[in-house]
Amino acid sequence: MSDIINVENLIKVYPGGTRAVDGISFSVREGEFFGFLGPNGAGKSTTIQVLTTLLKKTSGSATVAGYDVDKDAREIRKVIGVQRQDTILDGDLTGRENLTLQGHLQRLHGNALKKRVDELLTLVELSDVADKRAAHYSGGMKKRLDLASTLVHKPRVLFLDEPTSGLDPQSRVAIWEHLETLNQDEGVTVFLTTQQMEEADRLCQRLSIIDHGEIVVSGSPVELKHQLGGDTITMSLANGDGGVKDRSKRIVSGIQGVTKVLDTETGLAAYAKNASALVPDIVRLFDENKIRLTSISVTSASLDDVFLQHTGRRIRSEELSKVDTWKGHV
Amino acid sequence: MYDALLDVWHLYIRALKKTIRTPILIFSALALPVLFLVLFSQIFTQFGNLPGFPAGGYVQFVVAGIIIMNPLFDSGGAGESVVEDINSGFVSKMLVTPVNRAAILFGRLLHDMTMVLFPVAITLVLAYALGATVITGAPGILLILLTAAFFALAMSGLTMAIGVTTKSSQAVASLDLVVTFPLAFVSTAFVPYEFLPGWAQAFSNVNPFSYVVNAVRVLMSTGFVWSTILAAYAVIAVFAAVTVGATLFQFRSVVK
Repeated sequence: MSDIINVENLIKVYPGGTRAVDGISFSVREGEFFGFLGPNGAGKSTTIQVLTTLLKKTSGSATVAGYDVDKDAREIRKVIGVQRQDTILDGDLTGRENLTLQGHLQRLHGNALKKRVDELLTLVELSDVADKRAAHYSGGMKKRLDLASTLVHKPRVLFLDEPTSGLDPQSRVAIWEHLETLNQDEGVTVFLTTQQMEEADRLCQRLSIIDHGEIVVSGSPVELKHQLGGDTITMSLANGDGGVKDRSKRIVSGIQGVTKVLDTETGLAAYAKNASALVPDIVRLFDENKIRLTSISVTSASLDDVFLQHTGRRIRSEELSKVDTWKGHV
Repeated sequence: MYDALLDVWHLYIRALKKTIRTPILIFSALALPVLFLVLFSQIFTQFGNLPGFPAGGYVQFVVAGIIIMNPLFDSGGAGESVVEDINSGFVSKMLVTPVNRAAILFGRLLHDMTMVLFPVAITLVLAYALGATVITGAPGILLILLTAAFFALAMSGLTMAIGVTTKSSQAVASLDLVVTFPLAFVSTAFVPYEFLPGWAQAFSNVNPFSYVVNAVRVLMSTGFVWSTILAAYAVIAVFAAVTVGATLFQFRSVVK
């Protein structure tokens, strides 16, 4: 029994008909750092809510630590820690009281709890503000306290739903370091969802890319990027209409060393091992064919490229357009 | 069972801490009965001289109404706090722990039963200063406090039921007012039953508020009239069973 999370053909349909999760299967090994990478609305939070017993699934099976999410929800709650997307604390209570309350709800008490709370305050570097009300903490401090509050009972599996969304870069790195320590030194299994490539790349030993409620591809970040066959050449075209794009695509595909050419919103992305060396050729060929490039750049392949390869879109641009449509609703 | 009681205890302490750290809440809870008692005793004092008015004067009469007004008007906080906990995600943070589901509600209800004792005590002290007395003495005073606490349970259950159902603190505040005003004023709280118009007497007959006020009133002015006191407890029991039951039922949809 080395799988601590096992999900088979999980489906969640909300009342109203939205298929948030549409038949996903995956497993997470004990001690692993596993991630779901995908854009907003891909089904990441829904999966976490089902696995953490907050939401009933429609069909399929799901077990955590060997317990069924429907039948043994109570057992699961004793061994999991859950950090939701929004920081959830009681601002009227101090940092120490927030952690102690979580301990009490996990049925811990007395000196053991007191010691554990002190230990966690030290771990997340909040000892000197432990007796101040959480409402007065900065955003980064709140996130750290929230993380600590999920750890009081030494959970076997930690579920993190976009744990660093909305944080400044420094606080984000601080959280990443804490998560690495927890996973490596204390052997806590981590299931993380994110829409940030860097986060998935840095933390996850294995990940699944999820889109529209389905798993698109799974593997280690290195494996996934390797499948692209090299670095990324990103080209923006002055006139991106269909004809020009198709011609450009044929030209780039014909260049020796190019393993794959994908459409992007503004042009093309090509993958090649000796990417930098191909730039002069590309520029020359485009020139000869009277296709105007507005920019060309070479970067090492990222998980975003993997996402692009499998979905035809980039996570980032999707995220931006989502933000715009959301503003209309709020 | 033991775990569930401990859960209630810890969430009760949390609720108390939250209130104590928001002094304005305590101030308004304490100011309200003082304000009402001073105003009513000044403005309506001539009522006490009307033919047919119970002996002892208006202050002696109205204290019972103002005592039981405390649980009525302080109950909104229960509904608002549960709405806040649901919308901030604190409830779901608790739901991923083994905590007893009902304890999430009962911790706050117990808090309301405790906190109502302070304004009730202040009302009694001020009433004494204005010349009112409690004929049943210390045991009567204890029973008055207990009655107010149990009525607080029923009333807070009502605002919690509204809160859990609507998940809107504005809904709690406005619905609360719509419910509490008729309960308070179409009752025997401020005017003797005989002085009410016919339709108001009919409403007062089914108004739980009247039963509870009458019990406190006999404890203040008449003695241990058990028929009146037990009637009040029976009414509170039914009222609380309905409101707390509705809250628990509605809470299941949040818990899923």
